[in-house]
Amino acid sequence: MSKLIGFLRYQSGLLKWLFFLWLVFSIIYDFMAIRHEPHFFGDSIIGFWSAFGLLGCLAMGFICKGIYHLWLMQDEDYYDK
Amino acid sequence: MTSNALLMHPATWFILAAVSMPVLKRIHPMLMKLALVLVPALSIFLIYHLPESFGVVNWMGFDLIFGRVDKLTFIFLNVFTIMSLIGGFYSMHVEESGHHTAAFLYVAGSLGVTLCGDYLTLFAFWELMAFASTFLVWYRKRKKSIEAGFRYLLVHTAGGLILLGGIFLRYQNVGVEGLAFEQIARDGVTMADYLIMAGFMLNAAVPPIHAWLPDAYPEATVVGAVFMCAFTTKTAVYVLARAFPGFEILAIMGAVMAIYGVAYAVIENDARRILAYHIVSQVGYMVCGIGIGTAMALNGACAHAYAHILYKALLFMGVGAVLEMTGKSKLNELGGLWRTMPMALIFTVIGGISISGFPLTSGFISKSMIIAGAGEAHHPVLLVMLTLAAVGTFLSVGIKLPYFIWFGKDSGVKGKGAHWNMNVAMFIAAFFCIFLGFGSGTEWLYSMLPFEVNYQPYNSYHLSETFQLLGFTALGFYLMVKKLTPEDHLSLDVDWFYRKGARVFMWVARKPVASVNNWTDNAYRTVGTRLSMALARLFNWFDKAGIDYTIDGSARQVVESGNRLRQVQTGQIQQYIGSAVVAVFVILAAVMLLV
Repeated sequence: MSKLIGFLRYQSGLLKWLFFLWLVFSIIYDFMAIRHEPHFFGDSIIGFWSAFGLLGCLAMGFICKGIYHLWLMQDEDYYDK
Repeated sequence: MTSNALLMHPATWFILAAVSMPVLKRIHPMLMKLALVLVPALSIFLIYHLPESFGVVNWMGFDLIFGRVDKLTFIFLNVFTIMSLIGGFYSMHVEESGHHTAAFLYVAGSLGVTLCGDYLTLFAFWELMAFASTFLVWYRKRKKSIEAGFRYLLVHTAGGLILLGGIFLRYQNVGVEGLAFEQIARDGVTMADYLIMAGFMLNAAVPPIHAWLPDAYPEATVVGAVFMCAFTTKTAVYVLARAFPGFEILAIMGAVMAIYGVAYAVIENDARRILAYHIVSQVGYMVCGIGIGTAMALNGACAHAYAHILYKALLFMGVGAVLEMTGKSKLNELGGLWRTMPMALIFTVIGGISISGFPLTSGFISKSMIIAGAGEAHHPVLLVMLTLAAVGTFLSVGIKLPYFIWFGKDSGVKGKGAHWNMNVAMFIAAFFCIFLGFGSGTEWLYSMLPFEVNYQPYNSYHLSETFQLLGFTALGFYLMVKKLTPEDHLSLDVDWFYRKGARVFMWVARKPVASVNNWTDNAYRTVGTRLSMALARLFNWFDKAGIDYTIDGSARQVVESGNRLRQVQTGQIQQYIGSAVVAVFVILAAVMLLV
């Protein structure tokens, strides 16, 4: 099993391109998807969930890490002091 | 309860096995290990043969109902018993019988709550769960675990008392009928119902009363955490779904929970704490579904509870295997384990893609049901919040967790393959994660849901949405992987209030209260004691010289003659005999002289 994982790691450049290809495919697929009655405005915009996923992920990373560094981060023995 | 009902109640067998664990181990350790899997297997069989109602006992005028089975009960019973089998396999290598006793009593408590039909029985099993699970934390035997266990027990005791307060108030308001554990109508809700809800919400880890969970679970034993991640919060989901469906407060709190949990998971460093925060997040979906209260949302909550128990246990088992084998669970201390622990990696990734809702996994067909339920009930804000939480879930558990444990920088930590029984347990859980994700597995799960299902998860729009969300979240991780590198620090949460608050309380008890106590003690000794002695002497003198003298002095005379009599008694036996002989002689002489 570890050989297979090692092989895939060795091929990481190829996997990266496959991943980008997948991103392109997911947007193209959104053009073809049959839409149900929209629950809110985002449902009718093509590629909305791509932007939501990317921006949501980046925002969450930056905001959470920001609050962490500014406020929540303490030493491991904080409660023992 | 008739003996028949006792035998058919699955909790009976868990309690019996729990108390016999030390004996079984003494006879042969293999017997104990067999019990760990045979009792759960028996319980899986038993739940398929339960009547709708059984074990009704009248006790002091109250009807205690130990068995009430409907579709809502059954789906939770089903997953709880399967989970106990997985937990049984996973804990087979543990030699301490006490650990197994605690785990089985905990499972019994959970099954008892799920099956009961009245609040008194519910409360008894509820407390059994809290009490037994504390030992799963304490058995880790580290100072931090002991402390975390005490905090866990104190918080749950407080929650239990709130629940009990609610039950008593309800009994006072409604009478005996109010003790039946049924759905509570939304109109005419009283303080009693809100107290009960608060007690349930504490166990469901709804912020701000959630901090016990990420505090205690990472400190529990490797096996204990696997049990705990399945039962406490999901039993709370069951009781909320039973009593409070459609309460809007739950819908809002649930969506907040979902985001709150992932936000902490993004910044946390300890792998098991990340997973603990994800319980808060995932239970948020269920609480939200219960709050929305439509048939689809409630079905979604139940389906998600079912799927969640299995994939979350799988994640805890995968990370637990790493902790068991390397002694480490902090991401900054791990990395590069793919060479030595590939099986744990595969299983953890299956858990990770299930929790993230990849197509063909259990998360895809359960989580989407709640989100679709929010959409159909016209709650777009909830829909967006839950979807954002899904992004955070994939970011932190789907990618961050496996990346920093098995890949990332090579930490030099050498792991080795997990015990065979751990791999069996992980395999069963992984099987269910995939099996439930499509085809007959999905149909099987949907057939157990409390309401009829009109939902098709595999439609092109849902697939497209999922492909985009997951793909672009992965892109986001790729772009900011350096920023997300875990740091070896602690993050504050609302347990700050009682952890620091306890210190303030202890300081107040030690310093001001103790010094005031000492001061009053001294003051009493120096002033109070002397004063009361002087007063006693004064009263004594007044009694003798004042009252007795004024009346007739009889008291003084009694005392004086008593004193004289006391002095006459020398304690010498020969003198007593001599006196007696003299007395007899005097009497005889008197008689002879007088007659």
